[in-house]
Amino acid sequence: MSVPAIEVRGLRREFRASQGLFAAPRRVIAVDDVNFSVPAGSVLGVVGESGCGKTTLARMILGLMEPSAGEVLVDGKRLEGMDRRARARLIQPVFQDPFSSLNPRRRVRDIIAMPLVAQGDVTTSEVDRRVAESLERVGLSTEQGTRFPSQLSGGQRQRVAIARALVLRPRIVVCDEPTSALDVSVQAQILNLLAELRRDLGLTYLFISHNLAVVEHVASEVAVMYLGRIVEKRESEALFRDPRHPYTRALLDSVLTPEPGLGVPDVGLGDIMPDPANIPSGCRFHPRCPACFAPCAATTPRLTTLEDGLVECHLAG
Amino acid sequence: MSALLDIEDLRVTFGGTAAVRGISLTVEKGETHCLVGESGCGKSVTSLAVMGLLAKGGKREAARLSFAGEDIREYNEKQMSRLRGDRMAMIFQEPMTSLNPAYTVGSQMTEVLRRHRGTPRAQAVDRAVELLTRVGITAPGLRLGQFPHQLSGGLRQRVMIAMALMCDPELLIADEPTTALDVTVQAQILRLLAELQKDLGLGILLITHDLGIVARVADRVSVMYAGKVVESAPTAELFRAPRHPYTRGLLSCVPVPGKVKRDEPLGSIPGVVPRIPPGFIGCAFRDRCGFAEAACAADIPRRNVGPAHEALCILPEGARA
Repeated sequence: MSVPAIEVRGLRREFRASQGLFAAPRRVIAVDDVNFSVPAGSVLGVVGESGCGKTTLARMILGLMEPSAGEVLVDGKRLEGMDRRARARLIQPVFQDPFSSLNPRRRVRDIIAMPLVAQGDVTTSEVDRRVAESLERVGLSTEQGTRFPSQLSGGQRQRVAIARALVLRPRIVVCDEPTSALDVSVQAQILNLLAELRRDLGLTYLFISHNLAVVEHVASEVAVMYLGRIVEKRESEALFRDPRHPYTRALLDSVLTPEPGLGVPDVGLGDIMPDPANIPSGCRFHPRCPACFAPCAATTPRLTTLEDGLVECHLAG
Repeated sequence: MSALLDIEDLRVTFGGTAAVRGISLTVEKGETHCLVGESGCGKSVTSLAVMGLLAKGGKREAARLSFAGEDIREYNEKQMSRLRGDRMAMIFQEPMTSLNPAYTVGSQMTEVLRRHRGTPRAQAVDRAVELLTRVGITAPGLRLGQFPHQLSGGLRQRVMIAMALMCDPELLIADEPTTALDVTVQAQILRLLAELQKDLGLGILLITHDLGIVARVADRVSVMYAGKVVESAPTAELFRAPRHPYTRGLLSCVPVPGKVKRDEPLGSIPGVVPRIPPGFIGCAFRDRCGFAEAACAADIPRRNVGPAHEALCILPEGARA
């Protein structure tokens, strides 16, 4: 079996959230014992509500944040202690907001060249050639390369961010909400571009989104996060056809498909909001769960292996 | 009987840009009218123009702009501010920026009532507690003493809704009220709005870019593109038989859960939204439209294409995108 593109073992991250000058800081567990591996060439979608830890997870996989415990392996190599330049050649990010992730004072071609220049040992003509190649890959013209980000539309800026991620020819791209700030027509263009690049370049994506329909469109496998844990991880098609965790079901039921006459669904989650500084006992979803029963409040559910994935719920045991 | 809100040929310009180029729509009592479109199409400017809140330099003209039968075109700032927050209320996308971070929830909520109605403080507090409970907030007494940053996004939006209802408005203008929220919270907020509308007979003008929301909550839809309503129809009719190529393009862009095919490209609309100078003639979508012909550069008449269904397009019936 080939080496997985990303492997995550027992990953955990805690924060200390200050509560003011004299109060004791609160301990927030953003990511709690997360394990998974992403085979090369596939797409793992990560979904969950805000505050579930999906962005913290992405930052640790990118090496932008140290885990409190556990380890990340990228292309079979431990991320910890890896040279920054070697890491950049392996894995690259595309962030949500193309308005704040691009330096407004630099021209597009300089923004795209930056990761390459930071590698140090590349000639100017090689940089020019690679930047031109990247621009073309994402459907931008040479002329657009001479502009500043403020002169481009949101979709074009996101293309610049993708071009910058590709200039080092990485194996893996971590996309954190790459289309959330874009209009639907532009979102479709960017999703189509990402799919095309994955096919042509054999890329692996970790694709984070709160939009389940987008995830279904791009991901081969989907992990559902709730308060720092992956509560269900299944093959995409199976997850959307037959969700096993009540939280996954509630998320899917909340999606408003463009079908008139159905009204807005009542997903039965109640008014309690998840708080990562105050994680409930037993199953951490039980205060909101419409299917909660006796053991849920007391006992932490075990991970159950299914034919096409994993689920962490007493009902699946 | 006249409509609650009746807009005819509304135009807004900012210097050399025509943001709204002659739109007409009505909102009846108890009706939800959705104004849908992408960023820059003029949907928010339309709502701001109705409320008289255009930024400096914005110029408004209209053949008719009436609220509950009264012509509000010539209202001065004082008259408008008496109307706003009272009979005509609004909620915005980001509750964090529309709530004042320096005041408690309670003082902001009661101010509305004290200012518009001169209600004594104790009575205003009672009303605030009643409405916070109504919008599903537990421990309303506690929330009144909190500051906006102490609330989650969903709670803040509920507070905004409760605040908008303080004076029993007849019309609610909601500009992307759930865009910043999680899908689970979005469903709760939209259910709440629908329930309130049923109980209070509110007319709602809902501005959104999300066709899923439109399908689920609207009675009537107007699709905006480059400052014009290019298609308007009852909701079921619009989704069953979209006529304008822009509407069809927009519908094809939306991935629908359970119906997507992986590795198959989504529909998309090539190009970007153009900037429209004043005096522009013809269809503004023609540069991005697969059906454009020479006649599209001339004035496009509004046509009836179905029951209560109008489109701003010269395409003959039966042409399909």
